[in-house]
Formats: sequence, C-alpha cells, structure tokens
Amino acid sequence: MNIAPARVMRFVGTRLLSSAIVLLGVIIVVFVLIQLVPGDPVRLALGTRYTPEAYEALRAASGLDRPVLEQFFSYLGGAITGDLGVSFRNGQPVTEILLERLPATISLAVAGLLIALVLSVPAGIWSALHEGKVSDIIVRITSQIGVSVPDFWLGMLLISLFSVTLGLLPSSGYTPLTEDPIGWLRQVTLPAVTVGIVAGAIMTRYIRAAVLDVATAGYIRTAISKGLAPHIVTFRHIVRSALVPVLTIAGIQLATILGGVIVVEVVFAWPGLGRLVYDAVASRDYPLIQGAVLLIAVMFIAVNLLVDVLYAVVDPRIRVA
Amino acid sequence: MNKRITWSIAAGAATMLALAGCSAGESVDINGSSSDGSTLIAAIGGEPDQLDPQRTSSYFSFEVLENVFDTLVEPDENLEMQPALAESWEVSDDQLTWTFDLRDGVTFHDGSDFTSADVVYSYNRIIDEQLANAWRFSAITDISAPDDDTVVITVGQPSPNLLSNLGGFKGMAIVSQDNVESGDITTDPIGTGPFSLEDYVTGDHITLTANPDYWGGAPELAGVEYRFISEPSTALAALQAGDIDWTDVVPTQQVTDLESSDELTLGMTPSNDYWYLALNEAREPWNDVRVRQAIAYAIDRDAIVQAVSFGTAAENQLAIPEQSIWYTEYDQYSTDLDKAQSLLDEAGFTGGTLEMLATSDYPETVTAAQIIAANLEPLGIDVTISQPDFSTWLDEQNSGNFDMLMMGWLGNIDPDDFYYAQHHTDGVSNAQKYSNTEVDSLLDAGRTETDQAARAELYADAATIIADEVSYIYLYNPSVIQSWSPSVTGYETRADAAIRFRDTSLTD
Repeated sequence: MNIAPARVMRFVGTRLLSSAIVLLGVIIVVFVLIQLVPGDPVRLALGTRYTPEAYEALRAASGLDRPVLEQFFSYLGGAITGDLGVSFRNGQPVTEILLERLPATISLAVAGLLIALVLSVPAGIWSALHEGKVSDIIVRITSQIGVSVPDFWLGMLLISLFSVTLGLLPSSGYTPLTEDPIGWLRQVTLPAVTVGIVAGAIMTRYIRAAVLDVATAGYIRTAISKGLAPHIVTFRHIVRSALVPVLTIAGIQLATILGGVIVVEVVFAWPGLGRLVYDAVASRDYPLIQGAVLLIAVMFIAVNLLVDVLYAVVDPRIRVA
Repeated sequence: MNKRITWSIAAGAATMLALAGCSAGESVDINGSSSDGSTLIAAIGGEPDQLDPQRTSSYFSFEVLENVFDTLVEPDENLEMQPALAESWEVSDDQLTWTFDLRDGVTFHDGSDFTSADVVYSYNRIIDEQLANAWRFSAITDISAPDDDTVVITVGQPSPNLLSNLGGFKGMAIVSQDNVESGDITTDPIGTGPFSLEDYVTGDHITLTANPDYWGGAPELAGVEYRFISEPSTALAALQAGDIDWTDVVPTQQVTDLESSDELTLGMTPSNDYWYLALNEAREPWNDVRVRQAIAYAIDRDAIVQAVSFGTAAENQLAIPEQSIWYTEYDQYSTDLDKAQSLLDEAGFTGGTLEMLATSDYPETVTAAQIIAANLEPLGIDVTISQPDFSTWLDEQNSGNFDMLMMGWLGNIDPDDFYYAQHHTDGVSNAQKYSNTEVDSLLDAGRTETDQAARAELYADAATIIADEVSYIYLYNPSVIQSWSPSVTGYETRADAAIRFRDTSLTD
C-alpha cells in the first residue's frame, strides 16, 4: 500500500488549519462563558471584610477594570504566544502552572489507557466471537457494570481494600516517574486501575460491536466459504479490520482521560489537570480555568488530529473531506 | 499495516511516558525524610494559593504559614494574647502610645537578624498597599522604630483590641523585606517561625524543616510534610493506612466512630467562628421585635446543627463559644411554637412570606434554610429560599434585599470583632439595620475600656440585649475537627483553628 506523501501532507495541512479554527472558537467560547459566570472574583478573593481601596487595588492589579473587548484581545494575543496570563490567586503564570501539572495527568492517562486496552481488547474480541454464548453474556454484563459504576466509588473501594485493609498500596500521593519509577508505579496503580476499569468497560462495548460488524461483512463470509482456517480468518481479517474503530475509541478515551478525570484525581489527591480545574473552579481563579480548559481543548484536538492522520496512513480510502 | 499502527501507538505511548517523566518540580525523597521517624506527615484539604502571609486569604495557606511566620504577639490556647516577637509592651497613660520591646537574638530563616525595621516594613506594607487586612490597622496613626529593639505604635483612640489585631492570625506576620522585594515570598517564604520552608511541589506537597535557632526552642519534629487531600474519605483512609500522621480533613459523619476509636485520636473543639440568622429590620413586619422573637422561638437549633454538621457543631445563643474567656451564659430561646404563635398574635401578624437569602457557596446556609422553612410553616410563614452565588449574596445583603439571611463570621478573637461592626448603629456590617442607643454606648465603651473584667461585663450586657432584641439569632459555633495517629503527641486542637506543630512530637 503506497500512499502518495503529498496527499497525506495536504490532508494533514487541512486538518491543522481546521484545528486552528476550532481552537479559536474554543478561546472565544471559553472567554464569553467566563464573562457570563456570576460572581465577582475580586470580592471573593478578598472575603467579606476589606476596604474599598483594597478592592480597587486588586481589581486594577488583575486587569478586570479594563473594557471586556480589550481584555479579550489582550488574552487572545497572549494565548497565541503561549502567555495565558497569571493566576488570579497567586500571580503565577498560568502556562507555568499548567505545564507543572501536565506530566502527572499524562502519566495517569497513559497508564489508565494501557490498563483499559489490556482489559478491553481481549474481552471485546472474545465476546464478539462468542456472540450470544455464556461468555459473551458475562462480558456484556461485566462491562455494563463497569460503565455504570461511579468512578469515585470505585476509587474509594480500591483505597479501602488495597490501602486500608491490605496495606499494599498508598491511598494518595504522586512521585514523578523519572525520579522514582517504583514509587511512581505504586502510586499510579490505584488511580490508573480506576480510570482503566471505567474506560475499559466503555471500550469493550465498542470493540465488541466493531468486531461483530466486520465478522458479518461480506468479505469475511467469502473468506470463510473459501475454507480458510478459523483462526486465520479471525486474526488476519476480522481483528485487523476492526483495529480502525478501536483506534478511534482509544483516541477518544485518551482525550477524555487527559481532560476529564477530575473526580479520580480528587479522590487520589493526584496533582494533575483535573484537580487543578477543580481547585480553580472552587476559588474562581478565572485565568487558570480559562487556561486549563484551553489546554484540555488543545489536547482533544491534538489527539483527534493524531487519530485522523493515523487513519489516513492506515486506510488510503480516507480522503480530505 | 498492523505493525505500523502498533508501532505508532507504542511510539506515542513512549513519548508520553517520557514527557510524563519531565517533572517540573524538584521533589524530596519522601522515603528518606520520613525514615528517621520524626517528620510528621499532615494532610490538609487543599493547596495554599500562595505563601505570602500578608496577601493570601486562604486557610490552606495559613495552616502552613502558622509554622513558618511569627507575629508581634500571638494567641495562646485560650486566645489571650501572649508575647511572641515582642517580649513585652507598655501602653501610655492616655492609651494612645504602645511601646513594644522586641525579643533579642531572633533571626530569619536566611540567617539575617530580625529588627524593629522589619516590623515597621511589614505593617507599612499592609497599610500602603491596602492589602486585605488593612482594616485591622484602621486605628493606627503611626508606626516608628526609635531603635533596633523597639517599635512604637500610635493609635488615634484607645484600642484595647490592638493586640488581637496585631497577633490574631498570621495575616499580620512579620515578613522580610528582601524576601518580598525579590518576589520569592509567594513560593519561598522566609519567616522567623519554628519551621522553615524546604520544598514545595505544586499540586502535591510542601515540606517544612525544623528551625534549630527558633527563639522558642528548636521543635521536636525534624519537619512537617503537608499533603493536599481534599476528599475526606481519602484523608481518613490515608490516616488509617498509616500513610499520613495527622489531618483536619475528617468526614463529619464519621466523627462518632472516631470518638470511640483506639486506633486514631480525635481532636474536636468549638471554634470561635459562629453562624447566625438575621432579620431585615428595615422591613415590615421584621421591624417588630415580637415577630423576630417569635422566629427565634420557632426555629429548631438542634435540627439545624444535626443537619449541617452531623451534630459536631456546638449550639450557641450568643456569638462567643463556651471555652472563651469572653463567654456569657445565655439560654433564652428554646423551640416553643406556642410562645412563638402568641408573640405573633400580639404583634398582629397573620401570616405571610419570608424571603430567606442563602448561598450555594456555603451549603450549610441552604440546608439550614430548608429546615427553617419547615419550622416556620406551622406559624403561617411561607419561606422562599433564594441561593445566589456569594458575591451576588453580598450585594443583596448590602442593598437590603432580603427578609432573613444566614451567614457566619470567621476568625474573630476580640469581642469587638464579634459585636461592633454587626450591631452598632454605624457598624459597617449591620445589614439587618439594628439600632439601639444602649447597645451603641456599651459597644463604644468596650472599644476603649482597658480593664478586662469591666470590658467583659460591657460585652456581656451588649450581647444579651442584642440577643433579647434579636438583632441576630445565633445558631452555633462549628467545631474544629482533626484526627491524628496515637504516635503524635503534644498537639492540641485550637478554637482559632491555627495548626501549630512547634510542640508536637512523633513516637514510633
């Protein structure tokens, strides 16, 4: 399968351009939403007792006394150059705060996705190939439970079993992988299993459906009727073709985990983006909320772009729309 | 094709793992620092927003900074002011000049000497930059340093509460000018306290190390590591599993179990904070004292306390908790619907609606409002609850757009903090528009009375009238609840919720 490099490049270029447009839209929407959120952050930052001078001083220091449009264009200009302003609460650059939190989030997301893949790929394929049999029913029920279980509850359950009762793994904390791989592994296990079980349950259902789709396709029936051995049909044809949708769902799940494991991060006191967003919302740190939402959007767009590009590489039939 | 996909995914994963490794913060070797058995690991409910004590208003910051900074004077466990950086002080006969004699041989964590210039710099910074606590210095007209060991503070009127304004909390800490001017103070603060900052990894932990040169004597602990755990069940599990030694993130519904537990120690004491109801006296019929009293008799304090705190808060009918030296005994109100009804009949009230202003930012106000609605229904009062965000709530309160509201006052120490702004006719926080000349003169006298016993009497009288006339309906003092492992000794739970580890030790 030869792919014309120029075509792929053009495809990537177009996707990059549309990603940039989406990103601009995200910046505008987030900015407008934050303007619409009720509540005066200056007042909240100061508490109930303060002098009017203190109020004006903080308001001016945080730039909130300027016209909204001016605030927007200065924000947009900054965002393009990677300057997302300073945190309302402590004056630290938002970009710096986000980059500090990113490694913890990525390492949890990757570990969680690996667990999800390990659980879902065999389970989904097995289930599809044994459609309607007892094993299929077991997988379907189990995955339904996995989809329905609230992640905070699952996290609590794991903590109470593995930390409190058995004393095997720490209930919270984070050590960077580079510093102490064993420490990192011990600490990431419970949150990653929590994330992995929930994501894995969702993926199992998609993979099962994808494999079933392929298994009932005409060319598979042709292959079977040609008398190919069942395991060759299964692995060379069905599973291979089902990989494209698996790639999609894995991409979506990765993006979701990167941006949305707020509850898991809070339960395990994991210092990632999710908990940062949680804290920022609680303290109405608008610049930080804006920056975090923007970063999560960028990651979503980047993962989607990556998946699309992989598609184009994998399946030449995919063209630029 | 297959290989290619697999390889791409693997490469992607590897890149991310590599990225994940690029940690921004330098962290300490946790295992190394706790192996000597004397670094206490404390879990607090959130991350400090910054570590500049004069700028932050976050309790999470003060939980750490209590151990890093000192104030001129500081409250003891009964919240009476004791010497700290000032060894002694004198007040002039006209009560307008306070002369503080500073402690000798005190150094900042960077080794530089602490002098009167640091005090002048610190206080002027708060005033000049109009930091959030500037209001505490409103009585001060001048701060000077005649020599290295002396600070003279001049006030415009006699101010018996000056000491509690100077030392009531670490927001009035003495900071180092170099530390402020270099901008390091927000992340790498330098104080004179019993512990110094060793390491701060955003999002994860802060480590303090003992200051061997602390003027009060070197702490027994080698250090304190603060971890940020906001989820109470996780914090409790971490304590039970031995991952941490101390926490104040305790699920209130589990307090009863903890009280009887041998494995953990529970520290619980009513705080100086208080929660109250106030009726808008600028509106009919709430301007009638009998109607307000009727409501005070109709509400079920016990039910409110149970609902908002699982019974851990201490019911109270005045602002100041029982433990305080300023406590006044008072138990006029108990739930009595007959009495409430007859008071309403006397006032000629035949029923109506009451708009209760609560806020979703303080969920206890909403929970309490729901109970109050049920309490008042038999009296023909239909309670409508509004729950805007807190800054809207403040606007509504200030413009008088409410019939009744519930809120709390936090961090009070001096009785003037508890009563003046709230109940004096000219008080800045008198949103309920209460006005009584007798109370005004008692509160004015309390501001300048320097004899403590006489002062206590003034406030007892004022507080009793305030409650009799229902300027506020006091509900409860929430409890400070903490829990620690039995190996922690020498730690005390304080009514001002200050977390002091200077006298704490850890045994194996």
